[in-house]
Amino acid sequence: MSDRALYVYGVVPNASPPTLFEAVRGVDPSEPVILVSDERLAAVASAVRLDEFGETSIEENLRDPSWLAEKARAHDGVLAAAVGRTTVLPFRFGAIYRSEDQVRDLLRERTDFPATLARLEGTIELGVKAYLDVDVQRERLAAGEDAEGVGSAGRAYMQRKQLDRRLDEEVERFAARCAHDSHERLAAAVQESRTNPLPQPEAGDMARTMILNGAYLVPAGAVERFRDALGELERGHQPDGVDYELSGPWPPYNFVADESGRRP
Amino acid sequence: MTSGSTTLERQVTLIELVDRVLNKGVVLSGDITLSVAEVDLVYVGLRLLLASVGTLERLQSELT
Repeated sequence: MSDRALYVYGVVPNASPPTLFEAVRGVDPSEPVILVSDERLAAVASAVRLDEFGETSIEENLRDPSWLAEKARAHDGVLAAAVGRTTVLPFRFGAIYRSEDQVRDLLRERTDFPATLARLEGTIELGVKAYLDVDVQRERLAAGEDAEGVGSAGRAYMQRKQLDRRLDEEVERFAARCAHDSHERLAAAVQESRTNPLPQPEAGDMARTMILNGAYLVPAGAVERFRDALGELERGHQPDGVDYELSGPWPPYNFVADESGRRP
Repeated sequence: MTSGSTTLERQVTLIELVDRVLNKGVVLSGDITLSVAEVDLVYVGLRLLLASVGTLERLQSELT
């Protein structure tokens, strides 16, 4: 037993059916997913070998992106199996305990878990990213600008420079307004919401800029309303060069505060 | 996005998945073998790798 440990994916209510995870495998694909229960909660776990997940081995494996991507996918796959069927409190990747007793200690110590599960009950997480095609927006804005009187070549050049700068500013203002407005409308349809930082735009990828990276905690009964709100945004902003990408349903990764109370 | 359907088919990309699994979720401390600091460090490296489109496509095809 000492060559093995338990990888923990998250926590579900103790009353969750044990068959939930029958169809999925653990981060070690040869291991089934089990529930380690106390009287209120159950930790979703599977056995891992210490020569793969032990302190020294894992450090090496973590440097291998394809190993990590595969394990991250397995972690998400296990939790996703429960989404919509019971309430899931997802852990971050890499909670590996030495024994079932230690996992039970964790369940006992974390007196905040039941309240968090109650808050998340009956919800799913959906993600929405909005992208702006900067060229489309610039053309739209430029069309509104009258071609100013053509003077000398030098003056025309200066005018073009000024127009460029003004268009840049207007595109930026539009992006901020559109992102804010989109998030507000989506947030109005759901229980909780948050926005995540946008990635730095990369060179060569200037045309399509992410302007919103939102996560939404959606009660099951509000999914349609949320999708309607998104559909409305899509139709309304399509001529502006904005498109939206919906992702999920996710376990509510974005809506579990860590133990220090800090939102992840 | 598909519209008109009442069921919500799961749509996830590897980059979003990795973002959530490694960067969100409850952070635990205590008697576990892998510390959060280690994951955070690795995450930075992985994020950089995934940011390159080639790596991402290779990983996607390996995993699907």
